[in-house]
Amino acid sequence: MTAPKAMDRARLAAFVDGELSPEDSAAVVMHLADHPADQAYVDDLFAANAALARAFAAPLSEPVPPAIQALLAEPAPSAAILPFPPARGRLRPALAGGLGLAAGLALALYLVQPAPPATLAVGPLDAASPLATALEGLPSGATLATTSGPEAVILSTLPTATGHCREVESLDRAARRIDLALACRLPQGGWQIEMVLAETLPGDSTTEPGFAAAEGTALQDFSAYLDRRGAGLALSPEEEAALIARGWAE
Amino acid sequence: MADLFRQDLVALVPRLRRFAYGLTGNRQDGDDLVQAACEKALRNAAQFQPGTRMDSWMYRIIQTLWIDDRRRHMRHGPAIDPADVDLSDEGKAASLPEDRMMLARTRAAMATLPEPQRAVLALVAIEGLSYREAAETLDIPVGTVMSRLSRAREALLPKLGLSQGPRQ
Repeated sequence: MTAPKAMDRARLAAFVDGELSPEDSAAVVMHLADHPADQAYVDDLFAANAALARAFAAPLSEPVPPAIQALLAEPAPSAAILPFPPARGRLRPALAGGLGLAAGLALALYLVQPAPPATLAVGPLDAASPLATALEGLPSGATLATTSGPEAVILSTLPTATGHCREVESLDRAARRIDLALACRLPQGGWQIEMVLAETLPGDSTTEPGFAAAEGTALQDFSAYLDRRGAGLALSPEEEAALIARGWAE
Repeated sequence: MADLFRQDLVALVPRLRRFAYGLTGNRQDGDDLVQAACEKALRNAAQFQPGTRMDSWMYRIIQTLWIDDRRRHMRHGPAIDPADVDLSDEGKAASLPEDRMMLARTRAAMATLPEPQRAVLALVAIEGLSYREAAETLDIPVGTVMSRLSRAREALLPKLGLSQGPRQ
């Protein structure tokens, strides 16, 4: 009996979702009084909305997980504690542990080289240089130690619109300086450093494993640059290993 | 300004976790997603326009990261909590109290929806966004929001035991 006059379901849904004006809502209410089938459908929609709201409500009444709390904690006035490496790969648990974890997993492959890798300067890298060799063949987490202080770490591999790039960080504790560089693989092979940002470690810095204290502004610039370049999230270790194994071919 | 941004973000976290839970169907994945989204938001705080809705901005970041993650890992469906598996089976679910069974069934049913429908349903039915706000958050037309909602509900209601089937 009501079928020919049944109201459009989209309109009933809009009523339930609060999309209608008071006048239109009133008209729907009047309609429902004479159309039990439509009333039943509206009841179902209300029940489904309520069930959905309750089914996923647990986070509302629970404390925020410590990791998120820590992330959102107010930064110290002079120095932000920055995850080391930048946690672009947070959804990849294997990378999310940061450098400390990566080192702990014995991913740190040491290349002892005579010259400091403070040669994090914009421009193409000599293909035979230790850094270029490391970029080409080592996984993220690999550390290039030197005999004289600075150490460089490959932090991650990021897909970008024009190929893959790797974040490299050089930490010179003696000079209280962190250089963060983006090295990108050239289409014809080889690597080029596209940008370098320097951070000064605070004077009283006590660098804990896995974290480096830094001012933070350069890191923001770095992230902005990555976003402009269309960089995606860091590859997982498996994806990265496969990419290295096939010689960085897409 | 920066402090205010952080404070606003902190206040939003419970709702962001709820949205991410609905999207991923899994508490841990949801929290990982919220964490990644907060990191992205802090890095890009300068891009947020004060005076606009931060919740929509954050929902959008979460949804984008989730799509990106799904695409990257070629997942074909959310990893639903083990407790919710197989609850469409009346026999297995029978031991649960009715209310818990309903909620678990709701989560399991949500997880079966295609990703775009799930995002729209989570924004409208759970987060309470208007169709227009959901459309802006997901960068799709309002009409698409409505059609996705409609299809999501057609699939969802019977699974919840709420609908006797098409009536039109």
